[in-house]
Amino acid sequence: MEVWEAIQGRRSIRAFKPDPIPEELLRNLILHAAIWAPTGGNAQTWRFAVVTDPNLIRKIKMVSPGLSRTPPAVIAVCQDLDEVQKRAGELGSRTLALMDTAMAAENIMLAAYAEGLGTCPIASFHAGAVRQILRLPAGILPQLLISLGCPAARAQAPKRNAEVMWFNEHH
Amino acid sequence: MNTTRNSQLEEEFFELVCYMVTSARNLISETRLYGPLRLVESVSRLIDIIQGLGLESPRFQAIQRQIEEGKNTVMESEEKFTAFLENLVMALVSMMEERKEKAHRS
Repeated sequence: MEVWEAIQGRRSIRAFKPDPIPEELLRNLILHAAIWAPTGGNAQTWRFAVVTDPNLIRKIKMVSPGLSRTPPAVIAVCQDLDEVQKRAGELGSRTLALMDTAMAAENIMLAAYAEGLGTCPIASFHAGAVRQILRLPAGILPQLLISLGCPAARAQAPKRNAEVMWFNEHH
Repeated sequence: MNTTRNSQLEEEFFELVCYMVTSARNLISETRLYGPLRLVESVSRLIDIIQGLGLESPRFQAIQRQIEEGKNTVMESEEKFTAFLENLVMALVSMMEERKEKAHRS
């Protein structure tokens, strides 16, 4: 699939078919997409919790108001806070880690779209609760959830504002 | 009500309680319009539980349908989302009036 097509065709999908996603495909989304994103200072402090257990997904949903339906898989894009501090210092902790998470997440969502999957990024969840449900170590902070599955419905693209750009000096 | 059904129902309500409490916590720092969104989403989830109990209610079905059709306008514009909520309130008023009229006739 052309990268332009993936960028413009991807929608946030909130309704999924119950069909499970093959584990190999989920693995590929991390190992051949997410970790190839740019990362500030080559820190690579991202960590990925891939969740397919329906019982865990149900628990995550209970503390994630942004997760409106039940997807067959959820990826929690996390940061290793100790590693961030060690490798990228204060700027890393304050800013770069979050940017890295966002860039890795976009890679996951575009690759998933190319594989026929729908995704939705979710920031509305309780990080501490998700960390406890997934038994993540204290230094691992979930920053973004991505729900994944076969789309049950097609979403319309919201209108884009094209008046957001200028060349050279602002006028 | 048997013990299994009771436990299942308790779990369904517990899920709703978790959703509402987590929403309350997160809404402190979230987009302002997500407050009303979480409220109507809670109503929709509550109606799911009520219907699961076997209570037949065309009113609740209609309310839930209206919520599910309109809630995502929050992603489009504040005006559309406000209009959706306004229409929902007015639909409730119509339902009240209908019920009152029915009671009056009988």
